[in-house]
Amino acid sequence: MIKIDTLTHVYPGSRKLGPRTAIDSLSLHVRDGEFVILSGPNGSGKSTLFRILCGLALPSAGRVAVAGYDLFAQPAKVRQVVGVVFQSPAVDKHLTVGENLRIHADLYGIRDFAARRDEALGWTDLGGRIDHKVDTLSGGLARQVELAKVLMTHPRVLLLDEPTTGLDPASRRMFLAALGRLQKDRGMTVLMTSHVFAEAEEADRVAIMRDGKLLAYDTPAALRELIGTEMVVIQPTDANGLAERLRAEMGLAVRVHGDEIRLEETENGDGLPLLERILQRYRPEILSISIKQPGLEDVFVHVTGKAVPEHAHPVRDLQRTGTL
Amino acid sequence: MIRVAFSLARREFVRFIRQPQRVIGAVAQPLLFWLFLGAGLGGSFRPPGMEGVTYLEYFYPGVMVMMMLFASIFSSITIIEDRDAGFLQGVLVAPVSRMAIVLGKVTGGVAIAMVQVVLFTAAAPFLGLSLSLGSLLMLLVGFVLTGMGFAALGFMLAWPMKSTSGFHAIMMVFLMPLWLLSGALFPVTGVPGWLYAVMMANPVHHALNVIRAPFYGPPAEMFASGQYLASLAVTVAWAVACLVVSMARVGRREKGAAVAAA
Ligand SMILES: Nc1ncnc2c1ncn2[C@@H]1O[C@H](COP(=O)(O)OP(=O)(O)O)[C@@H](O)[C@H]1O
Ligand SMILES: [Mg+2]
Repeated sequence: MIKIDTLTHVYPGSRKLGPRTAIDSLSLHVRDGEFVILSGPNGSGKSTLFRILCGLALPSAGRVAVAGYDLFAQPAKVRQVVGVVFQSPAVDKHLTVGENLRIHADLYGIRDFAARRDEALGWTDLGGRIDHKVDTLSGGLARQVELAKVLMTHPRVLLLDEPTTGLDPASRRMFLAALGRLQKDRGMTVLMTSHVFAEAEEADRVAIMRDGKLLAYDTPAALRELIGTEMVVIQPTDANGLAERLRAEMGLAVRVHGDEIRLEETENGDGLPLLERILQRYRPEILSISIKQPGLEDVFVHVTGKAVPEHAHPVRDLQRTGTL
Repeated sequence: MIRVAFSLARREFVRFIRQPQRVIGAVAQPLLFWLFLGAGLGGSFRPPGMEGVTYLEYFYPGVMVMMMLFASIFSSITIIEDRDAGFLQGVLVAPVSRMAIVLGKVTGGVAIAMVQVVLFTAAAPFLGLSLSLGSLLMLLVGFVLTGMGFAALGFMLAWPMKSTSGFHAIMMVFLMPLWLLSGALFPVTGVPGWLYAVMMANPVHHALNVIRAPFYGPPAEMFASGQYLASLAVTVAWAVACLVVSMARVGRREKGAAVAAA
C-alpha cells in the first residue's frame, strides 16, 4: 500500500548551516490494511518523511508509491485516497467545528455532507459541540476535530504525524483507542509517527528510525525478543567505570545509556541472582539497582542506543506527554 | 474547482464579518482620508480642463481604488497566517486543483473589498454623480478586475513569506507609491515627462481609469475610447499574470537538495 524505496532527503541548508541529511536511503513497505507506527527520537526524520508522503515536499532521491500511484508523478491521484493528520493543528480555530468539517467536505468533494459528518463525529466525543468555535475546545477535543475531519473522507490510507502530542494521558488513550477500532473496522492502512514509545504496542508493526535510517521494522512481539525477558538496570556513581569493571571482572555484556548501565539479555529468573552478585561486589559504587520487565520503550533504547532522559519514571503514561 | 474556491472564499468572508472592528476600520479609514484630503486640497485644485470638478469629486475614484487595492491585498496576505496556524497544510494535501486554492483566497479578498467599496459608492449622488445601470455594472466589473489583480499580487508576494512584518515593509515602499502615482491624487496631465512615463507603466493607474470612466459616460462611450480599452486590457492582463504566478508558486513543492549518485 505504501512502498518507500531508498528514499533520501537532504535539506539544502543556508549560509550559516550546511546541508542536512534528514532521511538516508530509507526503504519501508506498509502492507494493505496494516497499522504501522514509525518511531524514533526527535530529529530522526519522521516529520520530513511525513511531509514527503503527503506530497508537500519532493525528496532528493528515491521513489514512493501509495495505493499503486507514483507519489511524485501522480500526486493528485494519491491525494484522493490519503487522509492526513498533521503534528500541528490544521483547522481554522476561528470557525466552528461544523464549519471546519464543511470546508473539509468541500475540499474532498463529499456530497452527503450531513450524513458523513454525523458518522465521523460518532467516533469522537464532539457530540453537541458542532457549533462551538474550535478555539474554545480543550486540546484533546480539538485534536478529535482533526480526526473527525479526516474520517469523513473515508481514506484508504491514513497518515498521522505525532497525533497525540500535547494530549494528556487519558485523551491520548481515547484517541488511540478510537483510531485502533476504526482502522480495524474500515481496513484502513495507517502509518503513524510517534516518539511516545509506549504507543507502539498498539501497532501491527513498528518501524524504528534514527538519523534518517531505518534501524528495525517488526511486530512489537518480535522487537521485544531483541532483548531478554528481564533486564537489570544499575544506577552507579560512575557508569563508564563500573561498566568496564563488569565486563572485565564478571564477563557481563553491559550497555551504558546516559548515567545508567543495562544488562539487557537476561533470561527469566536470572535477574535476581545476578543482581545479588553484582550488589555483593560493587555495593559502594551503586546508587540503585533494579530488575525490570522490558517494554517496547526499552527496545527503542536498545536499538537507537540513546537513553531517553526520564526513562526510569515509574508511571509510564506520564512520562512523555510533552515534546522532548 | 468552483465549489472548492467558493468554500474557501466563504471562509474568508465569514472570518471578516466576525471581526466588526475590521469591518468598521476598513470603511472608516478611507472615508476619513477622502474627506480630510478633499477638504484640505480642495482650494488649490485647479487643473486645466477640469473646471467643473471639485477635488472631492476628483479624488473619489482614487479612494475607491485605494480601498480595492488595500483591502484585497490585506485579505490575501492572510495566507501567511493560514500557513502559520496550520490551516493551509490541510488544504494543500487535499485533492484540489492549485488554481482553486488561489481563486478561493483571491475571490474571498475581492468579496471583502467589494463590500466596503460598494458602501462607499453610495456617496456618489452627494457629489452630483449619477450612474446609469450600465455604468454601474461597468463600475462593478472594474472593481472585480482591480481586486482580482491586487489580491493575486498580494497572494504571490505573501506566499514565500514567513511573517506579515516583511509584508508591511513591501506595502510601504512599493504599494503606497504605486497608488500615489496612479493619478488618484493628481491628474496625469501636466506632470513632467518622466513621471508621465512612470504613471503610464503603473497598473494602478489603469485600474483607476477603469473605475473612473463609468462616472463620466455611458458604456457605449467608454468602449469607444481607446484609452479606456487600453486600460481595461492592462487591468485584465495584470490580473491574469498575477493569478498565473500565484498558481505556479502554490504548485511548486519544496525540494530536497541533490545528492551525488551513490
Ligand atoms: N526545514 C528544515 N530545514 C533544515 N533542516 C531541517 C528542516 N526541518 C527539519 N530539519 C532537520 O532534519 C532532521 C529531521 O527532522 P524531523 O523530520 O523534523 O524529525 P522528527 O520529526 O523525527 O523530529 C533534523 O535534524 C532537523 O533539524
Ligand atoms: Mg516531528
